[in-house]
Formats: sequence, structure tokens, C-alpha cells
Amino acid sequence: MSSDPDAGAPVAGAVDDDAPAAAPTSAAATGTLTNPRRVRHRARVRSLRGLLMASPPLLLIAAFTGFPIVLAIAYSLGHTGGLNSTTALIAQHQHVKTEWWGTLGAYREVLTNERFQRDLRVTLLVTVVSTTVVLALALIIALYLRLAGGWAAKALTVVSVVPMFIPVVIASWAVLMFYAPDGFLRSLFAQVGLEGPTFGYTVTAIIIAQVWCSLPFAVLMCASGVQAVPDALIDAARDSGAGLVRTTFSVILPMAFVPIVIAATFTAIGIIGSFTVPYFTGPTAPTMLGVDMANYFTAYNRPQQSIVMAVVVFVAASLIAVTYVWANFRSSKESGA
Amino acid sequence: MTTGLQLEGLHKELGGRTIVENLSLDVATGELVCLLGPSGCGKTTTLRMIAGFLEPESGRVVVAGHDVTSLPPEKRPSAMVFQNYALWPHMTVTKNVAFPLRLAKRPRAEIAERVAKVLELVNLTHHKDSRPGRISGGEQQRTALARALVQEPAVLLLDEPLSNLDAKLRVRVREDIREIQQRLGITTVMVTHDQDEAMAMADRIAVMNDGRIEQVSSPQELYSDPQTEFVATFVGSLNKVEGRLEPHGLTPEAGLTSAIRPEAVAVVPASSDGALDAEVVRVTPHGHFAEVKVKTLGEVELVSFVTGPPPAEGDQVGVRLGEVWRFRDGKRVR
Repeated sequence: MSSDPDAGAPVAGAVDDDAPAAAPTSAAATGTLTNPRRVRHRARVRSLRGLLMASPPLLLIAAFTGFPIVLAIAYSLGHTGGLNSTTALIAQHQHVKTEWWGTLGAYREVLTNERFQRDLRVTLLVTVVSTTVVLALALIIALYLRLAGGWAAKALTVVSVVPMFIPVVIASWAVLMFYAPDGFLRSLFAQVGLEGPTFGYTVTAIIIAQVWCSLPFAVLMCASGVQAVPDALIDAARDSGAGLVRTTFSVILPMAFVPIVIAATFTAIGIIGSFTVPYFTGPTAPTMLGVDMANYFTAYNRPQQSIVMAVVVFVAASLIAVTYVWANFRSSKESGA
Repeated sequence: MTTGLQLEGLHKELGGRTIVENLSLDVATGELVCLLGPSGCGKTTTLRMIAGFLEPESGRVVVAGHDVTSLPPEKRPSAMVFQNYALWPHMTVTKNVAFPLRLAKRPRAEIAERVAKVLELVNLTHHKDSRPGRISGGEQQRTALARALVQEPAVLLLDEPLSNLDAKLRVRVREDIREIQQRLGITTVMVTHDQDEAMAMADRIAVMNDGRIEQVSSPQELYSDPQTEFVATFVGSLNKVEGRLEPHGLTPEAGLTSAIRPEAVAVVPASSDGALDAEVVRVTPHGHFAEVKVKTLGEVELVSFVTGPPPAEGDQVGVRLGEVWRFRDGKRVR
């Protein structure tokens, strides 16, 4: 059997080596003279114009987000002068720099604090458990919609997106009222003479509320990812002998990998830095770092320690974001780009 | 000759519309049968019923003597090559091809051996570690074929397998598929709307129209002896006139259609014996032949294929008619 005339010419996302050579030939054929220096100049002007168009939002971000972050990190390292002097003037228990670069006093104080360590553990636990539950529920709904279809699946998808339109503060309050010691669930149990569980003001309540609030976005992402898998690829798997479970794990989920990772990372980053849900539904202690940061900043008037906690949360969120970048990289590699 | 595949009275409705109506077809073991027809005639629906993706309202699908009508696709002894190849982009060529064997829990050594053998058969060994996005359309098509062949199916199903390839490559790949199919002796059903493809590849062609099979014949018989007006029109070029067309002219006759292939219309010098007088209306060169449209004195327009030097437009010529078919209510009458 002979090979194709087009063998080796990638179908998608590949660079055509002949393309640059073809351009001058066709230009010459039509009698148009092309000056390479002018072409390069035009390309430079085009890229400069693009940069100029993108610069206003970039400058805004740099001025109103980037610069305050730099100031805050400097303050956490004990740089209490300059633009940090006003905060430093009223803050309590702050560490002032001892070296030219600053001091790690605030970091040492926070990271060795047992309360912080416990709250960090709770924050990570809530993030991991909630994200896992959200992802599992979102995938079950998305797969049900993809494979079963019908009105029941569509209704389930619509219902699962409803929490998106309910403000987090109201949802948190509703969860609390439902699971509180004098809440709906215990009242219901009491009607039949049973002792119902109490989740209000517990870490469990935080997880339940986090799942409630994060589910809609995850469902939308996962459903769109799973829906995007072409029917033919699922049919091909079944034709090859794969049942429903094998088709799901070997074809559908790997192909919807990027949207699933995006859903997971966005959910995890949203939860790790959350304030409203743990503030309303969780216990006073232990609690999540979002609440701790607010307390240290306002109630305890210790902004330096609050910033240290923010840096820790930022580092954790960055690690999650690396997963997102890796998933995107893997995706473009797979597609042959 | 044993029967590799039997379709008995298949009937399918979708959205309240009949898509396939009481369709029966026997395919001999090792035979390649093409389902040929226009879009929406029910050929892909028939193929999907054979594969198990669609359940017929009535009728049976029998593969090598076993009724598989109620079996899901994964349990059927058939393998399909999809129109868009349906290769899994996250797997390499080898993994795509090995997937059915891994599902069948074959030993690792056997999988490696069978995959290597089939990749060699389709000339893809050099791309075994490439992902589908990195290989050409023709190579993707051959990967899909390899994935189907590695299962050693009792019936191979091809759903417009060449429609996404460019014209030149299509000819090459169809020869490759035919050669492999004949070498392995696999019972094959192929769906296509391209009559050239069907003519070049099939042992027999089943022409479908409106959910029914109009005629099942060898390619040559289908062309030279069509049993319905639809088949005569769909396969090849055709001159059609209302009434009874005879060598000496056209006689009006209600409900009768006469048809003649352009190659059965001979353009001869004017006033030749037994020829109708005509005028050349249009000449369209096609390289190795010219399409010459003539109008007879009886206002009958006919197209002829002329291989020699064609006459000029406006020339007075004679037209000699070969075999004329006659159809009444779409059916051939003698």
C-alpha cells in the first residue's frame, strides 16, 4: 500500500513550511514589489498599536491592584514608612524592619501561631472537601445531561444553576437557618420525636454552604465541556466495545479535561479566599482564614498579621492556578497546536 | 455463498417521519455492498441500525446467522469507520487502535502484535506514536480503518469514509480500502452519496430513495439496466423526454417517460440513414470528450458525449438513437 501524497502534512494546528516562500512568489507574479523592511516596519507599528490599546486596563490594574499589593507585602516585611506610615501609625503589634530588606518577624509570629495553623488546616480541608463534592456533583449532572438527555436532565441542570441567582449572604443565612439548633431540619425531626443533627455553626455547615454557592458555575463549566464531546467519539467508543462507564472514563472525561480543571481551580480559589460563607455559617473557632484576616484587620487592629495571612492564601491560590495553566498547556499540546 | 449480513424488513421512524421502510438486504460473506442514495434517503440510518446505535421499530439484523437486533453496539460483532473518523484526540494512533483490544481484555503481548500488524497493513507504522491532530486527513482515515480492522469484525461498516478527503486522495484511499477489504475478505457495508465511489468499490450497490431500496445490482447492471426511473436518473447522466422516443422521432403518450444515456445518442453527419435531423445547440468541452446538446426538428433536446472532434454550435447534424428505456409511474416498462 502506498503512502498518501499529503503524508506528513498535519491537518490542524501545524505550521506550513511552504507558506512563507509562497507569499513573495505570488507577489512577484502579480507584479507587486514587497520591501521586507517596510513589511517589518508595518508589523512593528501593528504590535505597538495593539500594546497601546491594551495599556489603559493594564495601567489601571498596575496602579490600583499591583501597587497596593507591593505596598502591602512591603508592610508585611516591616516597611512601615512612606505610603505605609498611616496604617503603621494606628496598627498594633507590628514588626518594624531590622535589615535593609525588612524583617520576617510578622511571618514568624503568624506561621508559629497555633490558632493560625488550625485555621489554615480548616481552610484547606474545607477547600479540598467542598471542591471535591462540587466537582463530583457537577460531573454527575453534566454526564446525566449528556448521556440521558430528556426533560428530567434539563430540569436538573436548570435547578442546579438557580443558586447562581441567590446572593451568597442570603444563601449562607438560609443554610444556617436550615441546619441551626432551632432550624428547619431539627424541627422536622422533632415532629416525629427524633433528635435531628445540628450543623449550624460547624465546619460541616461551611462545606454545605460552599457547595451550594459553588455548584452552579461548576455545573455550567462541566456541562459545556461534556456537551462539547462529539457524538461520533462516544459512538466510536461504544462501537469498540466500551460500556457506559468505560466510555465516560476513557473518552468523555479526558476530552472534557480542561473545562473540568477550570471548574475545579476556580471553585477552589473561590472557596479558599471566601469570607461570607464561613462568617455566617461557621463556628467562631476554628474558622477559615478569610474570617481571620477580617478579624485581624478590623477587630484586632493588626493589619500586618492580616496581610501575612493574605500572602499565605495567595501562595496557596497560586499553586491552584498553576494547575489551571498546566491544563491549558496540556490541552494545546494535545490538539497539536 | 454464505450470508454474512441479513437485514429483514427493517423499519425506522424518527420524529413521526418514516426514515427506513421495510428494508431487506442480504450481503454475502466477504462482499462489499454500497448503500447509495441522496441525502436523507435513510442510508446512514440503516447503517446505524446495523451498528446498533439505532433500534428499529420492526425487522431484524442478522450477522453470520446470529440475530443481533436487540444487542447494544458494544456487544455486536461489527466495527464502524465514521465519517469524521472519530479518533480520540487525547490518545496516540497506537492507543486509538489498541483501545478495542484493551476493552476486550486481550493479553498485552497479543495487543501489541495485532496493533503492529494492522498498522503495517494500513501503512501507518511510522505514525504509531503521533496524536490524530498531528497527522493528515488520509492518515486519520487509515487510523480509523485500522481501529475497525483490529477488532476482526464479522461486518465492517463504512459511513461515507472518503467524504472528508480531497479528490485526488479519495481515489487513492478508496483503492486502498478495497484492496484491504478483499485481502481480508470482510463482509462490508458502505454508505455513500457519491456514485463514482460506489461504482469503483462495490461488488453490489443498493440504491436507496425515500427509505426504500430501489434496486440492488452490480455496478455495471445498475448503470446499463436500471429498473426504476430514480435509479436511471441518479446513476450516471440521462436524457429524459415525456412520450415515446423512437429512432424515427417522438410520439406523444401520456404518463410515459423515455430515457436514453448520452453515450447511446450518436451524433452523425446530417441526413445520415436512420438518423433524426437536429441542430447543435451547445458544445461543452470536458477534455477527453465534449458534451454536445442537440435539438431535433421535433423540439426534443438531447445530450450526447462526443469523443472525437465535436461539431460547432449551430451545425446541422443527424442523431442516431441507441437503447431507449421507458418508464411509467417510475417503473421500467418494456
